[in-house]
Amino acid sequence: MMERPLYFEFPSNLTVKKFLNKLGKSQDFEIFNQQYTIKTFYDSFDWRLYGAGINCELRQSKLCSELLLTNNKTGQLVARVETEDVPQFYQQFTDITFAQQLAPHLEMRALLSVCSLPLETYQVNILNKDQKTILRLRIDEYELLNNRIEICPLKGYEKAHKNIAHFLQEKIDLSAAPYSTVLNEVLKQQGKRPQDYCSKLVINLKPDMRADKACKLIYKQLLQAIEINEVGTIANIDSEFLHDFRVAIRRTRAGLSQFKNTLTEEAVTTHASFFAWLGKITGKTRDLDVYLLSYPQYKALLPLTLQNDIAPLYDFLVQKQTEAQKELAEQLSSYEYRRQLVAWKEYLHEKLPSETLEANAGLSIYQLANIRIKKVYQMVLKEGALIDKDSPAEALHDLRKTCKKLRYLMEFFQSLYPEKEIKQLIKSLKGFQAILGDFQDYEVQELSIKEFSTEMMQNHVPANTLLAMGVLVQYLDSMKCNAREQFSEQFALFIEPQNRAMFKQLFSVKEA
Amino acid sequence: MTIIATYNIKGGVGKTSTAVNLAFLAAQENYKTLIWDLDPQGASSYYFRVKPKIKGGSKALIAGERELDGLIKATDFDNLDLLPADFSFRNLDLVLDERKKPTQRLKKLLAPLAEEYDFIFLDCPPNISLLSEAIFEASQLLLSPIIPTTLSLRTLEQLKKHIKDNKLKKIQLLPFFSMADRRKKMHREIIETLALQHPDILNSVIPYASDIERMGLERMPLAGYIGKSRSTEAYKSLWQEVKMFV
Repeated sequence: MMERPLYFEFPSNLTVKKFLNKLGKSQDFEIFNQQYTIKTFYDSFDWRLYGAGINCELRQSKLCSELLLTNNKTGQLVARVETEDVPQFYQQFTDITFAQQLAPHLEMRALLSVCSLPLETYQVNILNKDQKTILRLRIDEYELLNNRIEICPLKGYEKAHKNIAHFLQEKIDLSAAPYSTVLNEVLKQQGKRPQDYCSKLVINLKPDMRADKACKLIYKQLLQAIEINEVGTIANIDSEFLHDFRVAIRRTRAGLSQFKNTLTEEAVTTHASFFAWLGKITGKTRDLDVYLLSYPQYKALLPLTLQNDIAPLYDFLVQKQTEAQKELAEQLSSYEYRRQLVAWKEYLHEKLPSETLEANAGLSIYQLANIRIKKVYQMVLKEGALIDKDSPAEALHDLRKTCKKLRYLMEFFQSLYPEKEIKQLIKSLKGFQAILGDFQDYEVQELSIKEFSTEMMQNHVPANTLLAMGVLVQYLDSMKCNAREQFSEQFALFIEPQNRAMFKQLFSVKEA
Repeated sequence: MTIIATYNIKGGVGKTSTAVNLAFLAAQENYKTLIWDLDPQGASSYYFRVKPKIKGGSKALIAGERELDGLIKATDFDNLDLLPADFSFRNLDLVLDERKKPTQRLKKLLAPLAEEYDFIFLDCPPNISLLSEAIFEASQLLLSPIIPTTLSLRTLEQLKKHIKDNKLKKIQLLPFFSMADRRKKMHREIIETLALQHPDILNSVIPYASDIERMGLERMPLAGYIGKSRSTEAYKSLWQEVKMFV
């Protein structure tokens, strides 16, 4: 079996020149090439590639410019493409293999440059007596990091690989270095760390913390998420910035409505209207993002003979999204937005009164969490039980909103409960929400596409485009009906006795 | 995986240099490529500076005691590997003859490499024998260099007859002119006449050139030591033509 590449780090005082001198005493070698290189690491904003154990780096030198995907533990090459520029989205790669490797990890996220560093790279070939290369060494000489060497085995010359590895460790005293350390070390030097952003909410609360203090802590984290995603939202880097921006807004709104009587009513009223406005101004762009992201599915739903006819819908959506995005960027760059956001931030950093004024402010956060989750859970049970096959769509939409509130509450407070149990309950709620979400999404999409067709008709689109859109509406409608039919089954699963017992046990009010 | 044999009943017609240079061009296009040096003289192994020796020799190889993958050596070029020759290959006919279904043997041995390689070039020894029949069974394309002489043309006729008589319908014969010396009137005339008589002969013509002969000194494919020449362009053109049949 072919050996894997091995990686070693030079001690800080070992230059490449010194190393080659030492190597030359026992091996015949040639420097195949030596060149100044710029290495740039790429990942999505939320580190999807890093999280999947993939390293994405662009190596640019006079000789070539190549983008490499490697396993960040073993260094094994996953895909390689010669390119001067790095496309933002996986769909923009002309190399299908490369795109296929990126697609499941990146999805809709853009590839962004994480950090760059200059280096001198050497390819050194170890030769046998016939001057045949039996092993390749790649040496990276850095200015700011210790140099590194990769021993690349060649098929059929495994013995040479083992001998050199032994020689480097025993005679030159190099230490084995995991492949991924370069990125980590560069980030460390820049005061950054990998995976410094994650869209998941992680809030560590202490059960006996005063409720008003804990709520402010939650709001502060959500505000941080808003601020982090703001630039990407305005610049429209990818649709996930706006998505995460909106989720943080929705969570803040849910907090303002659900953490009852913890902060002053005046503060809640003032800031709730700001977040309601934010929710409103971001809605249109997000909806259009969703339609654009769903476009490949829309196309795939159609019969083959109509798949090309739907193309004008895509152009229409792009145009609408561009307009909506421009408007949104203007709103988010406005004085009014900035003023209200700063006011909220200042409010969150204001010192809390030592004597609590609001009814629930003095409770422990554990007590408040139990009260609120229990209450909203009861609402879900009640609203769900009232829904039968004749209930109007609004009843399902209301239930969906209540479920969302419950989900946010459980996520805000999950650190207060045993991890395994709370995760299991969130998972079961998520499953139930999926069917409610599908029902809502298909209905909204069906209506929107109908509206778009009216608008597009005025632009004189071909008749077949409208026909394709009509067929699409039909498919969306049947999927909506399908989701509606599954409701009672999914609700029954959600309220099964074991789940109910766990809800009851976990959220019964006890002392912290 | 496409298996391309460079074959001619006659020796010294440019089979090895064709296999080596086309395999190199395929590898340059990022196709995972393997050359199997089936000629006991080991010329393609020599060109890649690989020792013409395999563990266990032809017997162990044909018996399937050793997987081909374990015998493969990387060349000095990316994407290009070599399965070296062995002097015992001079007896490959006899070894094959001892097996059941001898003509299917190479095909079976090569099958596990389908995942790993896009192209396999078989650099074949001259003659027509049991080994050649096994090569015909295993290959999709039979690339046959012909020197523009009357004798070479006779061997092409023999090869065509053999393919027809043995009903080898799956293999595509691709003859092309090799070692063509434009200074020789006879070469020029034969090329012109035959191009009309035999439309199956490829358009690319590999010249008789000193830079190709230098391969033995340089011990590497042509493009490894020469930038651009009539010879390199001729091999490129031949490779483009061959790819149209893949």
